[in-house]
Amino acid sequence: MRSEILYPGAFPMVRVELAEGEHIKAESGAMVACSPTIDIESKMEGGFLGALSRKFLTGEKFFFQTLRASRGAGEVLLAPTVPGEIVVLDLDGVSEYMVQKDGFLAGADGVTIDSQMQSMSRGLLGGEGFFILKMSGKGMLLLNSFGAVHKIELKPAQEYIVDNSHLVAWSTTTTYNIEKATSGWVASFTSGEGFVCRFRGPGLVFIQSRNPGGFGAWVRQFIPVTE
Amino acid sequence: MIASTPNALCFGDEFPATGAPCLIHVEGHGLTMTVLSDSDANKRRSESVPFSELTVSAGGLDHDQLVAAWRGPTGQRTLYLKNPDVIRAFRQAAPDHLTMPLERAAKQVRQVRRRRRMTWGIIGGSLLAAVLGLWFGSDALVELAVDRIPIEWERKLGESAYHDFLARQEVMKEGPAVAAVTEMTHRLTDQIPENPYTFAITVVKSDVINAFALPGGYVVVFTGLMKKAESPEEVAGVLAHELNHVLQRHGLERIVKQLGFVAIVSIVLGNQQGLGGVMKQLGVELMTLKFGRAQETEADLTGLELLYRAKIDPSGMITFFQRLAEKDEGRVEWLSTHPMSAARAERLKAELALLPRREAVPFSFKWETIREK
Repeated sequence: MRSEILYPGAFPMVRVELAEGEHIKAESGAMVACSPTIDIESKMEGGFLGALSRKFLTGEKFFFQTLRASRGAGEVLLAPTVPGEIVVLDLDGVSEYMVQKDGFLAGADGVTIDSQMQSMSRGLLGGEGFFILKMSGKGMLLLNSFGAVHKIELKPAQEYIVDNSHLVAWSTTTTYNIEKATSGWVASFTSGEGFVCRFRGPGLVFIQSRNPGGFGAWVRQFIPVTE
Repeated sequence: MIASTPNALCFGDEFPATGAPCLIHVEGHGLTMTVLSDSDANKRRSESVPFSELTVSAGGLDHDQLVAAWRGPTGQRTLYLKNPDVIRAFRQAAPDHLTMPLERAAKQVRQVRRRRRMTWGIIGGSLLAAVLGLWFGSDALVELAVDRIPIEWERKLGESAYHDFLARQEVMKEGPAVAAVTEMTHRLTDQIPENPYTFAITVVKSDVINAFALPGGYVVVFTGLMKKAESPEEVAGVLAHELNHVLQRHGLERIVKQLGFVAIVSIVLGNQQGLGGVMKQLGVELMTLKFGRAQETEADLTGLELLYRAKIDPSGMITFFQRLAEKDEGRVEWLSTHPMSAARAERLKAELALLPRREAVPFSFKWETIREK
């Protein structure tokens, strides 16, 4: 399985080459085009209950699509819904990533996707809800973001502060605490940041250069109100 | 030949920030770490570290990983272990000076898990209590909240839904049907003491056998209902029922209940659209508003009293439900919010029997001519 990102930037697409018999699972609706040798199946990853919990708990889709090169080698073109970069990660069997609910685009079959509960404060204040996706296993993992993706590499005990709505994915070797952006409550909200996450290494944190919620609020003011 | 499935991640200056996947062997004297990031097995580096040089703690996102750190030949090393077999072997082989920190780390993990279980127990319990409370025992609370909402707000809420609905319908502006409904409404509303609502009644041309009331006093009657009704008293019965939904503020009670429920759900599941989404959902809810069974029964009974006060023959309401009951067969009563029409009719009959007999005053119009039109 090989992947190549086409048109890097705001509107990328990823080409995945599959050898005969190989398959990839992708977010439902992610397939743009594919070779005639590829079969598209819809699958409830993790069984019915797993799919159900993913749908209701993380807001991800109930079905994943499986693209299988069952009648010979072929290629698949995949793209996310929102404008923004695609990142390719290679899971080695021990590295695990937490991914915010809209961040998953596609993964090799060896990648396991679970929905996991967060702690009380992270769930309440982190802005991701109480349930997020946990990616583990082995193989290629494609994530998508809103805007460009910026990778933060943290050495052991190194800290970094991230606005919670800009989070895409982070490794499970990191830890983070949610805190007010400034020391005072009022200033925290008037500064426009509200809560931030203080990450502590080692590990990687992927952030997106745009905030989907903020963009939504900005667009809303231009939508004509119909009587 | 070394197995090449990594069981730990090692961090250090010369390793990538993701950590280098490595294979850990626990031996009598310490650990042997083989870095697997190089695909050529011959070039793989192995490093042995005695237990005496290690410090251990709990780490990772959920504090559920064993972190071992030491000073290697080329700098500081930090190892993240998650594999339960390796951790078990480590704990068995570790000498006394590591037992304490290991126990401390293990205790920390247990504490985190226990605390998490406890928090979730508490959240789950209080959520369940809140949901059950909202669902069953909240009526008093809801009424308390509804009492504090000014009529003016209720009117605005209903008005926008009302106009939205009418914009998509064929509204009858005048004619005998409208005149008849207006007369019925006046007869009824004149008997409401201290009525804070100005009722707006609209007749909509549609085959639907129904009428509905929105908060704030907006009532819609479909011509289908008038066609199906065999006497004006039947239509007046339905109207009395709908007017009482408004007077008892049933719509608002429903919304308050729903709002509480939605608020809890969106806190737990993360609310993607924010409060705007909730409000939009409410708008949709308004149009498909279903009244609870208790509210339906209340509207039936107060409707009956209103008919009685207005000197309109209440048996019209009863015969209409009886006719509806013919369609009801096969439905299970406790599954539906509308009490079965047959049961409703029986209940109303019993209630009517308790009231002293009173002479009914007929309407001024001829029903047959209105039905034909």
